[in-house]
Formats: sequence, C-alpha cells, structure tokens
Amino acid sequence: MEENKTHLPAAGATGARPAKLILTNVAKTYGDGVQPIAALQPVSTRVHEGEFVVFFGPSGCGKTTLLNMIAGFEDITEGSITLDGKPVEGPHHDRLMLFQEHGLFPWLTVLENVMFGLRREYRFKRQARRERARQFLQMVHLEEFERAAIHELSGGMKQRAALARALAPDPKVLLVDEPFPALDALSRSKLYWDIQEIHQRTKKTIILVTHDQREAACLGDRVLVFSGRPGRVKADITIDLPRSRDIKDPAVAQRAAGIMAQMEASGQ
Amino acid sequence: MRTPQRRITYYVLAFYFLIVAVWQALFSAQLIPDYLLPSPLQVAGRLWELMADNHLWPSVKATFGRMGVGFSIAACVGLVLGLFMGVSRVVNGCLRSLFLGLQTLPTAAWVPVSLLIFGLSEHGIHFVIIMSSAPAVAISTSDGIQHIPPIYLRAARTLGTPTYAMPTRVILPAALPSIVTGVKLGWTLAWHGCVSAELIKSSIGLGYLLEMGREWNDAQQVIGIMVLTILFGLLLDRFFFGLIQKRILVRWGLAQKS
Repeated sequence: MEENKTHLPAAGATGARPAKLILTNVAKTYGDGVQPIAALQPVSTRVHEGEFVVFFGPSGCGKTTLLNMIAGFEDITEGSITLDGKPVEGPHHDRLMLFQEHGLFPWLTVLENVMFGLRREYRFKRQARRERARQFLQMVHLEEFERAAIHELSGGMKQRAALARALAPDPKVLLVDEPFPALDALSRSKLYWDIQEIHQRTKKTIILVTHDQREAACLGDRVLVFSGRPGRVKADITIDLPRSRDIKDPAVAQRAAGIMAQMEASGQ
Repeated sequence: MRTPQRRITYYVLAFYFLIVAVWQALFSAQLIPDYLLPSPLQVAGRLWELMADNHLWPSVKATFGRMGVGFSIAACVGLVLGLFMGVSRVVNGCLRSLFLGLQTLPTAAWVPVSLLIFGLSEHGIHFVIIMSSAPAVAISTSDGIQHIPPIYLRAARTLGTPTYAMPTRVILPAALPSIVTGVKLGWTLAWHGCVSAELIKSSIGLGYLLEMGREWNDAQQVIGIMVLTILFGLLLDRFFFGLIQKRILVRWGLAQKS
C-alpha cells in the first residue's frame, strides 16, 4: 500500500492547485448544558478545485454532520469553513446537496425539477431554463423521460434526475449524501460510472459521504477516513488510480482494503 | 383473496337495488300510510313533475350557484389562513383551537346568526357556507404543511428558492394531498350548511323545495329532494373530488394506481 499516502490534513499531492474549500478546526458539539456531546472533533482539510473527496466511516462518526455543516444545514460550533475565501453561512446554491432520498418534487415533471434551480440565473427566460435543463438530462441519460412524473421513474433514474437537478445551477461544490445504498447493484454500478464521467466532464468539486469502502476507493481522489465516537478524522488517503474506475476492479478492491485497515487501526 | 373491482361494483349495485326493493316492500305491505311513506315510483314521479313544471332545475342551479360563490370564498380563506397556521406556530396555536371549537358547532347553528346579520339576503347563505367549511380547509392545510417531508424544504432552499417564493413554489404544492382532503371535507360541510340555510331563509333552492314539501305535507317531494341532495353530494364527492384526490395521491407517490 505504498501509494496510499496518509498525510496530515492540509498538505498533499494536490497542494499546488488552489484550495476551493478550507476547513479549519471544524468541530460540532450538541447541547451546551452540563454535558455537551462532542459529535465531531476538530477537522482541518483543504478541498481543491475539481477534487473528488470522499468522507468514509461508520454511522455516527460525524461524516454526515460535517457534510451538513458545509451545506449550511447545521451550525458550525467551532472552527470555520470558507468557500473561495468566503465563510460559509447557511444553505446556498453554490453548495448543492444531492440527498439520500432524492428529494425530487412530485408536483413537477422530471424536466421541471431540473429547471427548478435555474430560476435565479435565468429569471424570466423559461426557454433558456428549459434548454439548459435538457442538456443536463442528456448528461444523465434521461432525455427521453423529461415529461415523466417522478413516481414513474425507477430508483436509479430518480437519483440520476436528482443529480441533473443539482448540477444544472452550476454549483461550486456538489455535496453527495450516501445516494446509493437504496439502489440495486446494477443501478449502483451504472451510477458510479455516470458520476465519474460527469466529474471528469464538468471538473466539478465533489464531496461524497459513504460507509462503503469500495465506493470510497472507486470514486475518491482522496478519502478522509472517519471513526466514531466521538467522531474524528483518522486518516487522509490519496487514491491515484486512473479514471474511470470500475467498482469490480481488483485494484479498487485493494485500495478499499487499505481504507478499512486504516479505519480499524488502533489509534485511540 | 382480494375481490376484483368489477365484482365489487356489482355488489354495490345489488345493495342499492335491495334498498329500493325493501322500500317498495314496506310500501306494498301498507303498514305505513302512503302519504307518509310513498313508493319509489311515486317519488320518482314527483321529481319528474317538479322538473316538468320547471321548479326543479332553477332550484338546483340556485343551490349550486350559492355553493360556487360561498365555497370558492371559503376555500380561499381556508387556504390562506391554513398557510399562516402552517408556517407560524403562534398563529397555529391561536386559530387551531378556535377552528376546532367552531367545527363542533352543527352547520345549521350558523343560520340564526346569519338571519340576524344579513336578513333574508343571498349573502346570508354564503355566510353559512363559509363558516361551515373554511375551518376544515384551514385545519387540513396547516396539517399538510406541518407534515411536509423536510427534504423538500431543504432541497428548495439549497436550490436557491427565496423565502417569499416558498409558499407558492414549494409549501402549498407539497401540502396538496392534505389540502385536497380538506377541500373534500369542506365541500361536504358546505353542502350541509347550504341546504340548512335554504330550509329557513330562501325562496329557491333544494333546501327550499324540501321545506315546501313539508309545508304542503308532500312526503313524495320531501323524500325526492332528500334523495337528490344525497345524490348530488355523493357524485361530487366520489367522482369529482375523489378522482382529483386519487390522481394527486398517485403522483405524490402516496398511493398505488389501481
């Protein structure tokens, strides 16, 4: 596992590129009374432009909490998060989240869902919104379903539609919260291909949360390994396999084993 | 095993046929004098007469006209109040208890007040309709809003929806299944209120025809208008509101297509 460079949070192989998202000693504590509960111990890292970072760990390790803090859904109790130098405050369309349960609006068609986030930019130009939404539906191979209602789509198609909706407004960072466990194996492996292809095409900065080490090794340029409780970052592993990677590739499996070893390593 | 839909339809038809048959049997047995219990045919004949005399149609039109005006206002008022209740806990705390209280009042109980305020004018009937149904619409709307899956609100916020646009673009559409349930219930209550009001303070309408039947000791007319009132209520409930509700529930993923 000599390629798996574990290194201290801030520096790294990608250090030459500008940092997009800077997390400085970000921590989360719930309750402020006699016994505050530490959900996440201070984390510092830099996410670079176009980087695909995976937060990996068991449930209750604070990885989703950290993602929610970046999204602005949860308050940051300690430390700071900046995006392009500006501190993160509340939800904003420059940090779009792809949810675990797609969150598509059932009262709109697939195309209208993708158009939803484009109102700000193309205020009174419905036609322009429609054109742009169509491009993104094509990217996730759903162009034939633009008029469909949400309940008519399969689970995998719903996630792809949600992906198109999140990408269409051109967010600076795409946050992905375990979008795959609810899907069957075939839909999942198709989504792994799609998301890698989209990442390469759009050069989007992506942060994805998962508890599946193979998923982490398959998708991430870099994997932050979390451990519970209290949640903290145990390791920061760079995965330098060529893209696009296949989830069934032995090299991916080998990296996945490395990630697991890091998580299980005693490091109290 | 589930009984197929077609078979159920036959059972339902047979059930109503049975009711009419029992009714006819009671009539034929002559236990009750026929000026108190007319036969199904006599009732149908009386309705036919009313139609031929051009009494029935203007009254049906009048009742539906009042329902149209009154219920449209009630639904709008209910929707707006429900929206405020849904988004503000203070407003909800105040109005919910008031509306639940008002709902315990029988719809007919609004008629005396409306007579005092509006006299015999049409607005009095509209008033009864609104007071009977607006609270139900408001309560269902606020319930629906309070139970919106949080993910819709999160998704909308992260997609850059400004606060002022949330009610129209997200909150009301997301609560639509409950809103339709409320509107359906509201329609039934409004129908009660409307016919009750017409009984006492009107010179046209289904309620008026009912009251006239009583005054002339015409059991055929009383029963005929009752059956007609039930029929209209049922048709609108099942086929109009029912179908809209079904479509919405399927689309929102809350029910299966049958």
